[in-house]
Amino acid sequence: MARNWSDYKTNSWVQWCPACGNFGILLAMQKALAELDLPPEKTSIVSGIGCSSRIPYYVKTSNIHTLHGRPIPVAEGIKLANPEQTVIVASGDGDLLGIGAGHFVALGRRNMQIAILLHDNAVYGLTKGQAAPTLPLWLKTKALDAPNIQSQINPLLLAFASGYTFIARAYAYHVDQLKDLIKLAINHKGTALIDILQPCPTYNDIMSKEWYEKRIYYLTSADPSWDPNISSQEDFDMKAPKILDKMTEWGEKIPLGIFYRNISIEPLETRIEKILPGYLQYPPAKRPIDIKSKPIVHPFTEFKDRIVQT
Amino acid sequence: MLRKEIYFILGGPQGAGLETSSSVLTSAFTSEGYGVISDREYYSNIMGRHSYIHATVSSIRIPRSLTYPVDIVGAMDAETVFTHFNDLSKDGFIIYDSGTENTKIQQVISMEKEVYERIMEFLNKNNINQDIKSLVNYVEKNTKITPIKLDYRGILNTLRDKFSINSVEAQKYKSSILIGAVAGLTDIDSQSIATGIEQRFKGKQKIIDANKYIADFVKETIQKQFGSQLKLDHSSINMDEFIVSSGNDIVGMGKIVGGVRYQSYYPITPAADESVFLEAHQAISVNGKPISSIAVFQTEDEIAAITSAIGSALTGARSATATSGPGYSLMVEGLGWAGHNEVPLVITYYQRGGPSTGLPTRGSQSDLLFSLYSSHGEFPRIVIASGDNMEAFYDSIDAFNFAERYQLPVIHLLDKFLANVISTTPLPDFNQIKIDRGMLTFNPKVKGAYKRYDLSSPINERPALGSGVVMWHTGDEHNEYGHISEDPNNRRAMYEKRMKKLEIADKEIPIEKRAIYYGDENADFLLIGWGFVKGVALDAIEELKAQGLNGAYLHLKMFIPFPSKYVKGILDKFDNNRVIDVEHNIMGQAAQTITTNTGYIINKFILKYTGRPIYRMELVNAVKNILNNKSDREVLTYGE
Ligand SMILES: Cc1ncc(C[n+]2csc(CCOP(=O)(O)OP(=O)(O)O)c2C)c(N)n1
Ligand code: SF4
Ligand SMILES: [Mg+2]
Repeated sequence: MARNWSDYKTNSWVQWCPACGNFGILLAMQKALAELDLPPEKTSIVSGIGCSSRIPYYVKTSNIHTLHGRPIPVAEGIKLANPEQTVIVASGDGDLLGIGAGHFVALGRRNMQIAILLHDNAVYGLTKGQAAPTLPLWLKTKALDAPNIQSQINPLLLAFASGYTFIARAYAYHVDQLKDLIKLAINHKGTALIDILQPCPTYNDIMSKEWYEKRIYYLTSADPSWDPNISSQEDFDMKAPKILDKMTEWGEKIPLGIFYRNISIEPLETRIEKILPGYLQYPPAKRPIDIKSKPIVHPFTEFKDRIVQT
Repeated sequence: MLRKEIYFILGGPQGAGLETSSSVLTSAFTSEGYGVISDREYYSNIMGRHSYIHATVSSIRIPRSLTYPVDIVGAMDAETVFTHFNDLSKDGFIIYDSGTENTKIQQVISMEKEVYERIMEFLNKNNINQDIKSLVNYVEKNTKITPIKLDYRGILNTLRDKFSINSVEAQKYKSSILIGAVAGLTDIDSQSIATGIEQRFKGKQKIIDANKYIADFVKETIQKQFGSQLKLDHSSINMDEFIVSSGNDIVGMGKIVGGVRYQSYYPITPAADESVFLEAHQAISVNGKPISSIAVFQTEDEIAAITSAIGSALTGARSATATSGPGYSLMVEGLGWAGHNEVPLVITYYQRGGPSTGLPTRGSQSDLLFSLYSSHGEFPRIVIASGDNMEAFYDSIDAFNFAERYQLPVIHLLDKFLANVISTTPLPDFNQIKIDRGMLTFNPKVKGAYKRYDLSSPINERPALGSGVVMWHTGDEHNEYGHISEDPNNRRAMYEKRMKKLEIADKEIPIEKRAIYYGDENADFLLIGWGFVKGVALDAIEELKAQGLNGAYLHLKMFIPFPSKYVKGILDKFDNNRVIDVEHNIMGQAAQTITTNTGYIINKFILKYTGRPIYRMELVNAVKNILNNKSDREVLTYGE
């Protein structure tokens, strides 16, 4: 019997502030997992540190709450050793684009099959509202003493430049649309980013529900011919300018939906298989290393070339 | 008279093939049954700075240390002659290039200012002109050293013509001139040299032939003119087979035998070579059939190296990362997470000269205390250190066994000395090797939500991530299910549960894996050391014994959990004035660790922190000074 979204609920008390955008993301995540019918033990949500990074406790899958900024490398280690595990990273904008930005970039070069859910509230929620890397220049949210003097990162462009092959933006309170994107991101054969605009009613008093809802629109509703799908280099050359154009749109209008989906770039798992045939069939985590406590590899046969006879 | 041991230095610019000379000669001497230890000293530089190999070859034992003076200095260039002529024994040999005769020391632009000034002082004091010819003349007149002048260019020209190699390529064969010179003086068989060359250049026939040609040619030339004055006695070591390997490679071998399935790294000297070795062995096959694979992953930094290894370890793959001081400094937050989450993880830590970038290519033992205390909070870890290739091999396997049995991070300390030294090592005993995966399971009995941190026992069943159960892991304090809990009672119970594992490890791990006493009942002084100090300490003790001083050596291998009772028991047998700590650092870090754990205070120290290894003759001398009450603290400095 297929699983229901409530099968992915835990009985932990969800400790976010009332009306926090994270609630929408949580629900969308549970629904997506249910619709994909993913076995909870074979699914891992990996988070960093922050308000958003508490999400692992509220989803009944085998989850890991790591260090501030480090969910991506932990996720990579899991995926490399056990490619069968479904691995989702859910973390804050400070976590992924501030302290963990190097990992965010490096993951794109690898294009591993990991879905990144970026809880983008433009503030550091858990440390009481300081500016996050996505907070626009000169905005003064309520915890700030003076307007923000550092300008904002565009997560979509950063992901694009880094090599992510699935790039989307969503809005936390549009649960069903977000759920659909999460499903696509999880199934995408490569690294996927969903930049989720997530109102933080407690600290981001400017980019509020009302602020967003005045601005957001869906790429496909504005332009029914919108096509983010790329399957070849020619496709890319043709469509990239328009994609970039949409990725840079921010202000009075903020587009949502899939900006870019490139299926012509192979994921790291496939690349490893090429240089290490058998990797996917015998991944590191899956095979015994000993027979009754004796090593499978015998040093004198494996390292024959290092042995010198006298 | 036949020699029992010979010592030599081969020097030249970094990148000119000294590593080849070292590996070929080590294999060649080994195949004749001799024991070899060959150190490589080099600058943090790719090409051009002065580097040299320094070796001991022995017919009577597997050598464990290096010493001065040397019997041969083989010089590829003028800088080697200037830098090392003083390292020669009074009847040694210096092989140099006739093409450098007119080179003045001022023309050696790669030489460091301090070295230049030191040599200039010597030349001025002895009224020697500042060129190689004058220096050689001085040596010839005033010592019994034999200068051997060879026309390197002429030799390489014949090679060029014979093998149609261009002049630039021909330069790469200088390393074989030195091989031939050593072979001539020591009279090793051409066949042994050939074996060494073949092993080094597997299958590249032209290169093999050209190298053999040069080595043979030089060997004959030298034997005709000088005979084999350094001929070694027949070896009495009596072993059929050896592994010839650097420390980096033997750790790699240990890890592979021990079942490593994931290794992350960010390139750093002197650790990266180990990962490169593993990269060459990623496919695991038995009888030609692939059975598994090792993921070797070059990460974007050391933070990702350790955290990705954590992720991998959670899946049940034996996981490790290898680094040096700067990289380890970045890893420590991750280390705490692993300790807190009971993740079996091996960190192979090659120490080099710190702090900061320090001496990137030079040896040191200054990170012991850091490895013991790094990361905030309190959590269990095991810290072990290896003293030679054999230990390094077994320890690499034990590190995984301890990590999985006690579910904690294990820091395996090595140093640049061991990493780069190539030596002959007896084959490990396969019967001694055991794999202990502790409570790992791929098939947990309980299904669904799972008490990963069941308080009923300090060490729990550990299901691999993905196998049957839903688990949570977190860096926050957690309850039995891995959910955050700040409850004081839970905090106390979890804290104690984790730390309790060290008490269990302390009880279970046999003493011979933690500290080894070398000496007899009547020893009346004691050296204490760890890591690479082992070899030189043992050899010094032997030499001192021949001089009528009966000492012992206590080799420390495990610093957490520290074998306090055993160590204290040994220390108490000795007169405190005759207990000497020997280390490659300024603080006496192992001595401090002994005090912390046992209350015993050590008052005599022999320390070296120049980045060069402790040499036998300087250690022997320093021990005598201390035993004669000439000093409490000897700081050693020999070596360029
Ligand atoms: C190394 C380190 N530095 C600082 C912190 C403190 N810290 C905790 S959460 C956080 C910021 C979280 O912001 P974000 O990632 O945007 O998550 P949010 O709370 O907004 O969801 C910081 C700086 C930490 N936990 N670790
Ligand atoms: S501080 Fe903001 S992000 Fe954090 S829980 Fe409250 S509303 Fe949500
Ligand atoms: Mg945030």
